[in-house]
Amino acid sequence: MTLAPDEELMLQVRDGAGETLGVLFHRYQTPLFNFYSKLTGDRALSEDLVQEVFLRILKYRQSYCPGTPFRAWVYQIARNARIDHFRKFPPQTALEPEMLPPVLPTDPAQQQQEVELLHRALQQLPEEKREILLLCRFQELKYEEIAALLGCELNTVRTRIHRALQDLRKAFHQLARGTMLKKAEAAAAENIPPRGGRHEV
Amino acid sequence: MKCEHIAELLPDYLQGNLGPDEHQNVEAHLEQCADCSEEVVIWRKLSLLPVDQPGPTSRARFEAMLQAYQAGRSNQPAYDADWRKRASAWNWNVFHWLRSPLGAMAWSAALLAIGVFAGLRLAGPKLPSPDFVAMQSELASMKQLVVLSMLQQQSASARLEGVSWSTRDQQLDPQVLSALLHTLRYDASVDVRLAALDALSRHGRQPQVHKAILDSLQQQSPLVQVALIDLLLEWRDPDAAQRLQALQQAPNLNPTVRQRVEWAKSKLN
Repeated sequence: MTLAPDEELMLQVRDGAGETLGVLFHRYQTPLFNFYSKLTGDRALSEDLVQEVFLRILKYRQSYCPGTPFRAWVYQIARNARIDHFRKFPPQTALEPEMLPPVLPTDPAQQQQEVELLHRALQQLPEEKREILLLCRFQELKYEEIAALLGCELNTVRTRIHRALQDLRKAFHQLARGTMLKKAEAAAAENIPPRGGRHEV
Repeated sequence: MKCEHIAELLPDYLQGNLGPDEHQNVEAHLEQCADCSEEVVIWRKLSLLPVDQPGPTSRARFEAMLQAYQAGRSNQPAYDADWRKRASAWNWNVFHWLRSPLGAMAWSAALLAIGVFAGLRLAGPKLPSPDFVAMQSELASMKQLVVLSMLQQQSASARLEGVSWSTRDQQLDPQVLSALLHTLRYDASVDVRLAALDALSRHGRQPQVHKAILDSLQQQSPLVQVALIDLLLEWRDPDAAQRLQALQQAPNLNPTVRQRVEWAKSKLN
């Protein structure tokens, strides 16, 4: 049994079969939630925005044209929903590390530490750079689709991706260096025998 | 090959979109250039980032929204049976309306007004100002006529179009406001009601519009009610608690709306 493509399901929704939207919700709620949570660092807001996207799909379903790739269409709605939200409620503060999504356990395993650093590096990027990386790396949008979404040339998309990646590399290395320095300081501090310390018998 | 050349190719290399020759050239460069190869490493490391999972209530919220929507639609069986036919004939409806005597008159007059207005503007800045003002008001009243007559159409898509026309003006004419409020309360199609709510909420800062919108909480469509409850919270309406209380006591309140009222009350506290 093959799964019905998103576009076919969306046409059914457009023609009045609202319950079919449940299948699309199942397919897209996690990718959309990740798009928002990695972009904003705010879980509650991300959940609200995902609901808003599906409400807008219902409201504007008649504007869906056959042949339009559903993924690109839904991300257009998702971007607009976020833009509208921040127009109404401008973000008050810059993203604080405390607001970052999953708090990873401070596990000594190198991979987990890298993931944490990468997360922080991503959050340090300006929003438009973070967004373009999320769209192409996690949301599996083609460069042509991203160009249409952002309203720019295909080559501009390539340049922006490259610049975002350059910045991410720099941010990541800066954070990694900082972490190594802290570790070195901690190690040095441990080597200093404490006053009246444990060697005293 | 220099880094600048690679920069053009790297995004396609990362997506596996390059031909074999270019692919090989990029690989050869990556072996020699630490910066570029680190970018590739970072790109690959991005896949290590965990997938965040939405909370367990997310699905339930969606189901409630969908249920409210379906309930709103099933309140209009006649409209529903007709809907597919009307949607597929959207273009026909618009053209039909344009060709109707009222539509033709409105459009001709609007085009004439636009023509004269453009002509006057092109003629130079030293315009006799009374004429200019008269033309502007002519144009505005033409727009209102178009909106008002479209809101009266049989076809839901033509009415939707009318609502979207009303959003083109920054100022809301009192007559258009009253027509939109009527649409918000009584339109046969829940889509048109929701569109009217969208159009009206743009003017929510005007106290009388704000009040009139929220006064339409007591109505037949659960989906519109849910949208209005959300708006109450969004606007931080001072009477929100009172309005929610009144709504909760309404007889035959849709269960989803009741649930939403309780949720909204919990948000207020």
